[in-house]
Amino acid sequence: MRIAVAYKWAPNAQDATVAGDGSVDWGRAKASVSEYDQVAIEVGRRLADSTGAELVGITVGGADAASPIARKTALSRGLDRLVVATDESMVGASAGRTSRALAALVQEIGDLDLVLTGDSSQDLGAQLVPGVLAAVLGRPVVTNVTAVTGTPGDLIVHRVQEAGAQTLRVTGPVVLAVAGDAAEPRVPGMKDILAAGKKPTQVVEVPALAPEPVTVVATAPPEMKARKRLVLDGSDPAAAAAELVAALRADQLV
Amino acid sequence: MSSTCILVAGDTRVADLITLAAGTTTTAVVVGPREVADAIATAGVDAVVWLGEPPAGTPVEAYAQAAAAVVAERAPQLVLAAARPADRVLAGAVVAATGAPVFTLVSAVSVGEATVELTRAVFGGIAQETDTVTGSAVVVVDGGPRVEATSAPVPVTVVAAEPLTGVSVVEDRPALRAAVDLTRASRIVSAGRGVRSQGDLAMVDALAAALGAESACSRPLAEGLGWYSHDRYVGVTGQHVHPDLYVAVGVSGQLQHTVGARKAGTIVVINADKSCPYFAEADYCVVGDLYALVPALTQALS
Repeated sequence: MRIAVAYKWAPNAQDATVAGDGSVDWGRAKASVSEYDQVAIEVGRRLADSTGAELVGITVGGADAASPIARKTALSRGLDRLVVATDESMVGASAGRTSRALAALVQEIGDLDLVLTGDSSQDLGAQLVPGVLAAVLGRPVVTNVTAVTGTPGDLIVHRVQEAGAQTLRVTGPVVLAVAGDAAEPRVPGMKDILAAGKKPTQVVEVPALAPEPVTVVATAPPEMKARKRLVLDGSDPAAAAAELVAALRADQLV
Repeated sequence: MSSTCILVAGDTRVADLITLAAGTTTTAVVVGPREVADAIATAGVDAVVWLGEPPAGTPVEAYAQAAAAVVAERAPQLVLAAARPADRVLAGAVVAATGAPVFTLVSAVSVGEATVELTRAVFGGIAQETDTVTGSAVVVVDGGPRVEATSAPVPVTVVAAEPLTGVSVVEDRPALRAAVDLTRASRIVSAGRGVRSQGDLAMVDALAAALGAESACSRPLAEGLGWYSHDRYVGVTGQHVHPDLYVAVGVSGQLQHTVGARKAGTIVVINADKSCPYFAEADYCVVGDLYALVPALTQALS
């Protein structure tokens, strides 16, 4: 029995800097296992422990996705082994191409009734890979998953929906995208990091994927409203409150 | 004339998608109950394709691949889907079926003869990009409010589809209260990590009540802490809101959050930290202890 977790080795958009012409400099943004994918790994580890399944990490990216630091970081979070597909064309790849490459890995590894993903990546944040991946594989997908029990092939899945919640029974192959709070990811200890060095990683080629017919014609910094940026000193709360309310009244907002 | 397919995942909150598709021939591809298809048929689209009544316990996402097949057959230049979980699954299936590229956080779309030009925020909103797509494009944007009847109904074409099997709903637990639609709120008070305990939310909610505002929060308060339901967090992967007034209480201003409220008319930020990044995007930067300022503000309003 086997479970895969698709994760992304990516920098956090929060740490990138944007120039006046809208070009993005990732120089100071360090790559890591994307925040919400850490949650998926944790959910996968717990399920693997309760079912005796093997937990395989799969990822697609540039050469750095298979670097020693990337492998160790991912493996120390509880994955048993990695299968990494690298190609420079996959750096910053779209949801469509990333999903196709991941689907090829799922098919190649085989025996994967359950593929887990995070909610969204920390660089693109599009929340689209789970849906594309599932459709390429021809299997259903459940998103916003908060809890999973059972065994791959026969699972009970809980998910949140807007203001409500749902329990689903899943039989057969599925992709589950876990919610950001499905589990608290572990902080790897020294033992986990040392053990990670001994776990296997298989580096494979990315299958030939058609490029997407997209041309970037312009970049710009984000469209921002001009803001007043008036500073009110709150050390006298009542005075600050009165001043703010007066200003909001003048703006006809209250 | 160029053509658009609008994906509808059992939810009629797609009015803005229909507006966006104006000037093209629009086909709504509807999964979910018949009444949804009937409502869409009066909302200003040119055609409706409905995939049939889902059997009890079948989630709408089970029809994603069938809906994608309908779209692929029509080969529209533009495919629109609302930025909600089930709608995203439908959009994903179209990407898989057609190979068309998909875009989120799109602010402008124009459909030409053989190309689609679009402007969108990239990398969660840190920059903006204008792209030309040759062929068709899939665009995921805010769906807007529920559709309203604006025309006599167009015929609903039934294409009875087989849903994927394997996922069935065992139990549905609707929330005890109605879902909130923050995108329609004219005033919002949003709480962040500066609020130290769940009990302190009463203080923030009192301010919201005094303002006649909806309560909202940053992501950690909905996910992780669970103090608010998921539909109340504002941010790049949460709600994208555009109230006249947005009051952020103890929200530091991580990009993940601010992107979701960037279209607010006026932004008030209350934070003890003079250097909190959110002040750079605020109209009124109130520097001080929220535990003193929020009650003072509530009192000044009443």
